[in-house]
Amino acid sequence: MVTLTIDGKEVKVPQGTTILAAARTAGIRIPTLCYHGRLDPIGSCRMCVVEIEGIAHPMAACTTPVEEGIAVISNSDRIQRIREDSLKLILVNHPLDCPICDKGGECLLQDLVYEFGIDKVEYQAPKPARESLYATPLIRYWPDRCVMCLRCVTACREIKGIGAIEIKGEGYGSQVVVIDAEKCQSCGECLSVCPTGALTENLSRFKGRPWLVERVPTTCTYCGCGCQLELNVQNNRVIGVTTQEGKGVNLGSLCVKGRFGYEFIGSDERLTTPLIKKDGEFKEASWEEALTLVAERFGAIKEEFGPDAIGGLSSARCTNEENYLFQKFMRGVIGTNNVDHCARL
Amino acid sequence: MAEILFSSWGGEVVDNRSKEPQEYETASKVSLPEYFQQNEEIKALIGWYGIVLRTSEVNIVDLCRTYMEAIQEKSCGKCFLCRIGTKVIADTLGRMCRGKGRQADLEILARLAESISESSKCNIGQSGPLPLRHALEYFADDFALAANGGAAIPAGTYRSKLTAPCMDACPIHLDIPTYVECIKEGKFQESLDVIRERLPLPGVVGRVCVRPCEEHCRRTNLDEPISIKFLKRFVSDYELEKNKEPHYLVEAAEKTGSVAIVGAGPAGVTCAYHLARKGHQVTIYEKLGEPGGMSAVGIPDYRLPRQILRGEVEQVQKLGVTIHYDTQVGKDIKLSQLEADNDAVFIAHGAHLSSAMRVEGENDGYKGFITGVQYLLDINLGKDPYPEGKKVVVVGGGNVAIDCVRCSFRVNKPDVNLVYRRTRNEMPADEVEIHDAEEEKVVFHYLTQPIKVIAENGKVVGLQCIKMELGEPDESGRRRPVPVEGSEFIIDCDIVVPAIGQTIDLSMLEGIDKVETTRWNTIVVNEFTKQTENPKIFCAGDCQTSPGALITACAGGRTAAINIDKLINGLNLEAAEDDYFDKLFDVVKVYDPAEDIGFLGGRARYQLEMLPPDTRKWTFDEVEKGFSPQEAMAEADRCLRCYRVATIAVTEATS
Repeated sequence: MVTLTIDGKEVKVPQGTTILAAARTAGIRIPTLCYHGRLDPIGSCRMCVVEIEGIAHPMAACTTPVEEGIAVISNSDRIQRIREDSLKLILVNHPLDCPICDKGGECLLQDLVYEFGIDKVEYQAPKPARESLYATPLIRYWPDRCVMCLRCVTACREIKGIGAIEIKGEGYGSQVVVIDAEKCQSCGECLSVCPTGALTENLSRFKGRPWLVERVPTTCTYCGCGCQLELNVQNNRVIGVTTQEGKGVNLGSLCVKGRFGYEFIGSDERLTTPLIKKDGEFKEASWEEALTLVAERFGAIKEEFGPDAIGGLSSARCTNEENYLFQKFMRGVIGTNNVDHCARL
Repeated sequence: MAEILFSSWGGEVVDNRSKEPQEYETASKVSLPEYFQQNEEIKALIGWYGIVLRTSEVNIVDLCRTYMEAIQEKSCGKCFLCRIGTKVIADTLGRMCRGKGRQADLEILARLAESISESSKCNIGQSGPLPLRHALEYFADDFALAANGGAAIPAGTYRSKLTAPCMDACPIHLDIPTYVECIKEGKFQESLDVIRERLPLPGVVGRVCVRPCEEHCRRTNLDEPISIKFLKRFVSDYELEKNKEPHYLVEAAEKTGSVAIVGAGPAGVTCAYHLARKGHQVTIYEKLGEPGGMSAVGIPDYRLPRQILRGEVEQVQKLGVTIHYDTQVGKDIKLSQLEADNDAVFIAHGAHLSSAMRVEGENDGYKGFITGVQYLLDINLGKDPYPEGKKVVVVGGGNVAIDCVRCSFRVNKPDVNLVYRRTRNEMPADEVEIHDAEEEKVVFHYLTQPIKVIAENGKVVGLQCIKMELGEPDESGRRRPVPVEGSEFIIDCDIVVPAIGQTIDLSMLEGIDKVETTRWNTIVVNEFTKQTENPKIFCAGDCQTSPGALITACAGGRTAAINIDKLINGLNLEAAEDDYFDKLFDVVKVYDPAEDIGFLGGRARYQLEMLPPDTRKWTFDEVEKGFSPQEAMAEADRCLRCYRVATIAVTEATS
């Protein structure tokens, strides 16, 4: 264990802990923007710089491991100036389109600018000529809103192991671009870690403000993995899917289906009752009617042609338990081994 | 060296602006050459360590503008303050230079310069605004004028260059911060691509480089240098392990030709690689049956496994390079023939002759007397050079001598001695190699000089030596060893291996015009182009520099390839701006071992796991195991990314 002090308070943490993590253990808040709990520290925003007694240079708390006996000062006039300058420089060209930004109300940049009370920016630079070089039918990139914190780039590489996006160019003209469009699976990991409205979901634009939706925790129905997600519900309509960092077996990650494939829930084309074909036409029926019919027909077919005339095909969208029960039903009740699973096709 | 009017270099302020020339103080932290290139005088320097002005003709605001524009251009964009802040500064300075300054600009410049240098992620941002802060402090009047409606300032002539201490120290100038950063981010293939822009042998160099980069690693000032060499080895091993085929950027030149290369050593292979990537037809003539030259002969398998070297050379062959093995130029084929048949010839046959010890008995052909180069060559070809012999004495203090002693155990010779005329401190061999040899229990006889090879019946039975003591320093700065009278003694042995240096066999040059040689038997070339006086013949590697580092040979091969390509395409062969910056940085040092970085350090470098000395000394298995991906990424994360920019103001002199 390493012992240090932060703002005079003694903290003991394991060797290799960063100053930021040590401060959080001690309940001391150090502001961050690019830091994300699931990613290796990036160190692009410089909001978390702190002073250390006897060390000339301010150090970034997120990337600096603790050392025995150091005395960290989490805030000072100097640190405050650096943090303010970091935010002010972002604001030099950040559009103030918060009223129509999907992220308005849950934007980390908005929160920090509010916290630091920045009401004017004396710095100027022409708007960089950035093109929207990254977008899929499901993900929209707003280059003007991008602060280049690199969370998206890091998440694509570290969490998904894909590395489809990268920073290109130099200096002020650098921007986030797709380096390999083939690799991108539109999983949306990038937009889930974006602290601002630079990456948004194309499907739910203008459908509801973040603070107005009800977030209903549930399990994804697309496969047996059991990913935890939150349906964003407004007026009994699902308008988006979000996750909580680190929650569930998926730790907050989703695939393209889980994150974007929610529109079927409220689709007009969705079947809500069983249909029975009578005289060549499907007619709505009750569950009891339908199940009785199926049971009768199974019984009759089994009687006439034997149980092997019946086969069962189960779905990857069922859980393991449901699939187990299904094969049990086919073998024990129908009496056939003709059972398979769509994931094997 | 011309006088300096003002300097803030390295924090030392020398201000002669209000003094008479005879009262001028001199700057101790920097010396600035008078000329950049011929006819181009250096008027001022601005860079990571401050400002040096030689004349008041240079406008300080314009100098800062140019420099900050270069900083902005080189900013990587990966942290907020440097990416946007340096743009704001460069634009503000630009406006001031156009005569549109505002009073508020001064405060903006001062505040931003401070915030950026205090908190940027890497040294571009940390060192970038530093000289601007000096300028605002010591040239306040010039800035006040520019901020208050002063006239537009005419733009001067400047040259800017991005460098880093490690990159500058590397003879082939590998972009080390970038390839290390790629490793940190898990982009191993991209890292290798960066290395291969210049070097085709990452697996070889990643094992045996003498690593001047690590000696100039700025992290040393904080705790320990980055393990640059082994990071390079890691990415190369990773590719092999994943069975990935390397991919090379091949871009054919407008005009292609045929080139003959003498020697398949590091210089020859690197030259062939760069020429092949330009679409030229390259044929290498190699005297031995193996590629690698001195790195195959002189470096044992436990340091550089044979398949690594062969594998990397095979990759170069896949680019279309032909290698004729067992073909000695000068004997099997004449150099004049190659000169006649090709558009250019590159000589890189190395230095394979053993230097004489000048002791009695060394030329008498005793059995058991084997030169270092021959000894290692035999062992590396899988032979025991003298199976009868069990007691070995190696003479010399360089890497070849250390290789000879360590190899001796591995061909089952248990009694191994090394004789060196100075002390351990003066030994030119790699410190790590000496340490490993000590661990393997080589007996070191320091301050000992051989005087006679003793033989019976034509076989070596001992080496007579004399004790030495250190006297006055010689021209190399090392204290000269002098014999202690009456201290003669004999080391019993049956093998004596002289390994005190190698010389160059120049016999192939017979009948060739205009290729000059020096009195040290090296071949004379233009230092920037590697061209000899004979325009078709180029030369680099040990035969041009005398025995040196492998990476220096690779660098020479690359330079030769660039210039051979120019020759074939009818372009002028002249030094590039980068070459002149190399010269400048020989004087204005990019790395200052005394710099106080002012960071929190204490992160020790990752050490490679090694085979234990008792096991390894009897086998040729590679001693050092490589990094795991996690270790490599963590080690790469220690890099401080010390990129920095220097800008000079120059004038076209009439002389």
